[in-house]
Amino acid sequence: MIRYLDQIRAIVWKDLLLEIRSRERIAAMGAFAVLAGILFNFSIDTAIVRPQDVAAGLLWMTLVFGGLLGVGRTFHIEEQDNALLGILTSPVPKDAVFLAKVAANFVLLYAISLLVLGVFALFFRVSLDANVGWVILVLALGSLGFVALATLFAAMSAGTSMGETLLPILVFPLLVPMVVFGAGATGRLLGGRPFSEVDGNVRMLGAFAFAAVWIGAVLFRYVVED
Amino acid sequence: MTNSGVRRGATALTLVGLVGMVALLWMSFFWVSTEVNQGIVQRIFYVHVPAAWTCFLAIGISALCSGVYLWLRDDRLDRAAMCAAEGGLVFATIVITTGPLWGKIAWGTYWTWEPRLTLTLLLWFIFVGYFMVRNATEDPEKGKRFAAVVAIVGALDIPFIHLSVIWFRSLHPQPVVAKPDGPTLPGDMLVTLLFGLLVFTVLFFGLFLFRYALEDVRLRAELRARRTA
Repeated sequence: MIRYLDQIRAIVWKDLLLEIRSRERIAAMGAFAVLAGILFNFSIDTAIVRPQDVAAGLLWMTLVFGGLLGVGRTFHIEEQDNALLGILTSPVPKDAVFLAKVAANFVLLYAISLLVLGVFALFFRVSLDANVGWVILVLALGSLGFVALATLFAAMSAGTSMGETLLPILVFPLLVPMVVFGAGATGRLLGGRPFSEVDGNVRMLGAFAFAAVWIGAVLFRYVVED
Repeated sequence: MTNSGVRRGATALTLVGLVGMVALLWMSFFWVSTEVNQGIVQRIFYVHVPAAWTCFLAIGISALCSGVYLWLRDDRLDRAAMCAAEGGLVFATIVITTGPLWGKIAWGTYWTWEPRLTLTLLLWFIFVGYFMVRNATEDPEKGKRFAAVVAIVGALDIPFIHLSVIWFRSLHPQPVVAKPDGPTLPGDMLVTLLFGLLVFTVLFFGLFLFRYALEDVRLRAELRARRTA
């Protein structure tokens, strides 16, 4: 068990170190998130809708698209010199590789989701006073579910001739529960409603996230076997 | 089972299914009584509901065969999963065509985010993803594995999608629309519906076996062409 966790930690550390040094994905995702916020601002007619009312939905859409941008390239850097083959032929179990990739992607996406929350609070005058702790939890569960599914399918689409264009087609239909439960909960919490009102949403979001991680860990070996 | 055996079974089931389909159409147009509130348009339900049942049956079969395929690596299982998915795609198309046609008259709009209709639309996209990923790999073995994973994850996600789309509706004001059916269906309507379910299931398996036999023939022809080349 300790060995297993060590293996995961080694891969997570490698991925995060690469990211810290190159800042390739985090910069792209961060810039995307802020720019999406700017574009959303101009797409809303504030005479008709209050920006606060649609902020939660836009926040989740930014996360989904920005996340796809970053997570879609999970295996990109390792494909260049066939480094992925090295990891896969090492004695590390495949599910450990998957869990490590999910963990590294989670750190990235969660950082971005907090950035998006801050940006949207600023741009759309969303009040963070009431439930910020719960919103942060909801974003954590949503990010986890998202990266689990997206990492599995990113590994798959990387192995096809269509590449990253295939990823949204595969992932979006499956992400509907995450968006429904996540955006629903976030909208109400940002609107100052009590947590008890979205208790069910958060539980379902948690169940979805853990089911996604589990099924990804089980099926990942079939995606990368060669 | 040999290929000719599969084809004989396919022919028998498809014939029974087609005869049943004619009978079902006769029943739903001439025999069954007209529903009081919705009128004549309700009759589309005897096609719509069985088609919906069949496409969920199809994803179930596809996911099951895919799971066992990943375990045993028997090509026949992959072929069965693919044929079921293809049938599912066809029947899901019937559902998302007949649903809005009915909705236009019953609800006054072609599209509403009715949970079951939404779920079927998403299922349709899962089937599309299944075939896209299958055909987008150079190595066919890889395509089979990828498609199997899509079918399994799709089938496991369906309960979540179903719950979430119901949830989504409950968070929004409910439009005051006619409900698809009452708690109890009058006898003749129930008989027609159950007969419809039976006919569609038989027809699905008939078409499924035909497709399976066709795939078998295609693979053999390919093999022969490769050998002569």
